[in-house]
Amino acid sequence: MSAGYRQQPNSSRKDGKRVAGKQVFPPPGSGGSRPVMKERDLDYIPKSVGGKEHQPAGSHIHDRIRTGTIVGKSLPLVDSNAKVTGQAWYGDDVRLPNESIGKILRSPHHYAKIKSIDTSKVEALPGVIAVATGADSPSSFGVLPVTKDEHAMAVEKVRHMGDLVACVSAVDEATAIEALGLFEIEWEILEPVFDPKKGLEDSDEPIHWRGKYHLSKTNVQKRVFQEFGDRSLVENPYSSSHGKWTMHGVHHGFTEPHAVVAHWDPNGRLQLYTPQQVPHYTHRALSTVLDVPMHQINVIRTFVGGGFGGKSDPFPHEMCAAILSRKSGRPVRITFDREEVYWINRGRHPSNIEVKMTADEEGRISGFDIDALIDGGGFASFGHVTSYYNGVLATAPYELGSFHYTGARVWTNKPASGAMRGHGAVNTRCAVEVGLDEMAEEMNVDPIDLRLANLLPPHSRTITGFRITSNGMREALERVRDGSDWENKFRKLPLGKGIGIGCGFFISGSGLPIHWDPNRFPHATVHIQVDMDGGVTVHTGAADIGQGSTTAVAQVVSEVLALPIEMIHVRSHESDTSPVDLGSYSSRVTFMNANAAIRAALEIRDKLLNAAWDILGYHPNTLVINDRRIYYKHDPAIGVSYLQALHKAQEDKGALISSGAYRSPPMGGVHKGAAAGLAPAYSFSAYVAEVDVDVELGLIKCTNVWAAHDCGKALNPLAVKGQIIGSCHMGLGQVLSEKMVYGRTGHLQNANLLDYKIPSIHEMPHVEPIIVESSDPEGPFGAKEAGEGPLLPILPAVVNAVYDAIGIRYNDLPLTPDIVYKGIEKKRKKLKLEDATELPNPRYTHGPKSIELQKLLKKRSEEHRKRDIARQTTEDTSAYVNGVLFGFDPNIPLEDQLEGWRMATEPDPEQLAELGLAGKAWLKKEQREMGGEN
Amino acid sequence: MTPKAPSEIWSAEVNGEPVETLITSNAILLDVLRDQVGTLGVKRGCDLGTCGCCTVMIDGDARLSCLCLAGQVSGRDIVTVEGLSDGAHLAPIQTCFAEHGGSQCGFCTPGFLISAQALLTKNDSPTDEEISIAIEGNLCRCTGYQQIVDSIRAAAEIHRGEVEPAPPASDPHPNPHPEGPDEPSMPPGHAR
Ligand code: FES
Ligand code: FES
Repeated sequence: MSAGYRQQPNSSRKDGKRVAGKQVFPPPGSGGSRPVMKERDLDYIPKSVGGKEHQPAGSHIHDRIRTGTIVGKSLPLVDSNAKVTGQAWYGDDVRLPNESIGKILRSPHHYAKIKSIDTSKVEALPGVIAVATGADSPSSFGVLPVTKDEHAMAVEKVRHMGDLVACVSAVDEATAIEALGLFEIEWEILEPVFDPKKGLEDSDEPIHWRGKYHLSKTNVQKRVFQEFGDRSLVENPYSSSHGKWTMHGVHHGFTEPHAVVAHWDPNGRLQLYTPQQVPHYTHRALSTVLDVPMHQINVIRTFVGGGFGGKSDPFPHEMCAAILSRKSGRPVRITFDREEVYWINRGRHPSNIEVKMTADEEGRISGFDIDALIDGGGFASFGHVTSYYNGVLATAPYELGSFHYTGARVWTNKPASGAMRGHGAVNTRCAVEVGLDEMAEEMNVDPIDLRLANLLPPHSRTITGFRITSNGMREALERVRDGSDWENKFRKLPLGKGIGIGCGFFISGSGLPIHWDPNRFPHATVHIQVDMDGGVTVHTGAADIGQGSTTAVAQVVSEVLALPIEMIHVRSHESDTSPVDLGSYSSRVTFMNANAAIRAALEIRDKLLNAAWDILGYHPNTLVINDRRIYYKHDPAIGVSYLQALHKAQEDKGALISSGAYRSPPMGGVHKGAAAGLAPAYSFSAYVAEVDVDVELGLIKCTNVWAAHDCGKALNPLAVKGQIIGSCHMGLGQVLSEKMVYGRTGHLQNANLLDYKIPSIHEMPHVEPIIVESSDPEGPFGAKEAGEGPLLPILPAVVNAVYDAIGIRYNDLPLTPDIVYKGIEKKRKKLKLEDATELPNPRYTHGPKSIELQKLLKKRSEEHRKRDIARQTTEDTSAYVNGVLFGFDPNIPLEDQLEGWRMATEPDPEQLAELGLAGKAWLKKEQREMGGEN
Repeated sequence: MTPKAPSEIWSAEVNGEPVETLITSNAILLDVLRDQVGTLGVKRGCDLGTCGCCTVMIDGDARLSCLCLAGQVSGRDIVTVEGLSDGAHLAPIQTCFAEHGGSQCGFCTPGFLISAQALLTKNDSPTDEEISIAIEGNLCRCTGYQQIVDSIRAAAEIHRGEVEPAPPASDPHPNPHPEGPDEPSMPPGHAR
């Protein structure tokens, strides 16, 4: 016997009790853990329907279908046993008979035209099975229908180092690698662009050409201008802040490298196994690129070893595998090494962000200017959306006097940036929250009070027209303040120790399905099928990428039908069997799929209740559905078992089948770009971080984080906490250590996990996850997202804490020791100090004015607190739009009340001169305006 | 064609079973385990010794199989994640990872399980510091480690015999839909 865990002798006891270490898998056919019906668990049944569950935010439409079975209880992910036994099958674990190994030839140049490719030597190599180049895949694809600018392999030119040029499959990996060396390619090197600022200028050879929509001859892919509110409020501010930020690119850093297996089966259908967050986009793209109808393709999502947005684009290597397999008739497996993972990238955009904010004498935020120039790399990916998100997602949860945003995304000759956890919202959020902190500092007021006095209430509208429903922001802020003992620490800790605050706001599911009109088709569909054995099979396209979407769907069905979760089987791997679904991105899965699943389960529930009515003669309204049994409300002894009701219900058709869908209500304004950032609900979060800064070494250690996140309702608190802590980890990486380093020649220098520094266990602070439940009226049982939003606040919380510790503002992320040290040295020299340990750290310097203001803020937040509670519990249902704080009537359009209230999506000609960096893109003209080509 | 390295017969004990297979002399243990032995639970995250996904136990010590020539460990005792459970019985560390959220996407999990098990076999009352050191070579992008540490602590308690493991959600019962209390009872006068 080898080492490792072994069962202790005599661990099987006669009395059937379990002994430490002896846990068995359920035998086949078992359907639940309890021989008799369990009592209703009143702790998990809401007060409004007679239970004991506390409902601070009032009742919810789903209350009446709560059965106390599983919602709100911590439980392991339903697929965790597969994961802990090593039986979960990820991309590279799919091994088909007669497989061949594919490899990809990548560009050695940043930017070059391909004049010719000679593959004859490759083909001649013994062991090579198939070869493909750009000529085999002329059609372009892309994740967004408006920007289809990618090809399976480079057609005409390569756009960044590592771009795909050709691919080959062979009998084994060694042969495939050898074959890569035999391609003969003639290049014409072009002048690359690396600096996004350069991308704003005209170039001889723009990286892509958008025809009549192309902006002059620049590399600008998308420009955005938005202005809302009253610009006159910005004049003569009482306080202001101005930050210019440089943020580097960061990568998702998922542990599983991309892998794909393609198999063109003997019937001529393509079976594609891939770890995808959004199998449906891949499905569509494959159909275009391969020119076969979608129903001839079956996309099988394997287990996904982490996605975080990095596995949500349709990828060229997926096309390559399919093309190679089509050519050879053999399965092809392509697995990336870690370096290739960085070449395909899709990480967070390197950004140059400028934020200007102003506040008036009453501590109201009058002005909010953002300028974001983001570096998109070689392809568009999700960039169209990112360009908007950088501005619009930074506005809430605050009530603003005016908002002005200019954004531009440019192509450069680097691996493409894309969507990453907290898509588009992370960088500007950091800049904005630090700006607020600066203003609080200038006004000498508490930054938490400043925030609390400027929050939008529940059921309100943001300045850009987003509809906020539930809103737990205030509670989140109050709970982290109390939990962290903020009052006794802020501005009171010794040099080198600091505490800081940050908030977050994120969409819970994008309101606009990318590929179809939301008024025609729903966002998500779920099918349920119940067979005679009583097992419930749920078909959904929701992609479980580790966040537990399968568990969430299983949970809500289990809750509605009051069945043990072991009886719910979720099938979500194959496009053949699952309804079309937009997959796991924009934090939509729990909100949309669970809602669809509830609807489908309700249909089954109704049929079961009707069957019980038939048998018992009691109307469904008087029946209670509980653990595998339906009984009469007033006499539980009168009832039928679940199986009996089921069999009765199945008498006509033999099976119970239902289908449920979710569609979001019509929302949003009519201005250009109004759909970007629209969501049926928004999540809110507030973090307090505590740091230790070594003033002599510049080393920052984050020690404690209090992390409050409003997820509406925690369906599974264990999973929500896991998401909060995991988000902290990822955000902490970005603020302290992670960056993609491009050298002077534009080369990515740290395409491995040694130099790309993901925090290890030693860098992790203690995180205290705090779940705030605001019960969203449209969320499934009140739930909202918890996967992305919790990432946002950690960055500003740490930056603000560093300021509290050493009195230095940094605007350059990540805060690696060299940067921190430089800042300390600069300040030390400026103050002419001997030693960095003598640095002064910030303290309040109250004057009469600031004491007044502080009082005012406290008073206002106390008033708003009452207002919020009334609105949350729908005691107060009056309209509320951004601007009420500034004295406007929410029932009259703001532009009618105030001259100067503006809503614009294009700059006025006189504004052109004062636009920021990204705003410069507006100086260029579109080709069609110039009467150019096309 | 580039000349291939010479082949040799490799034998070792993998998860308690003797294994014999033909490998090239420069074969990496990770490749042999995945491609030849078939223990696909050993994951490849980087191939460079940086992620810890490929951790296996060699004679009771946690080692990175991507940095190990198969030839170096021939004849040794190798345990992969597949060898942690005993037949149908999950090891405490496995159930604890499931129950305490130690595994989200699960790709890093086999490596963490092996590192943790190697620790617990030698030391069933590790301090937090010792746990940190045991898993410092394993990266996890999903969990932020906190729930992994919770899982290891919980497993240590079971190893020490202090706690009985909580019954898994999937506690079996041969007769889930019993007759008896679930028989319909008709209210008088309501039978149809
Ligand atoms: S694969 Fe061995 S450490 Fe990453
Ligand atoms: S669970 Fe996903 S990397 Fe650890």
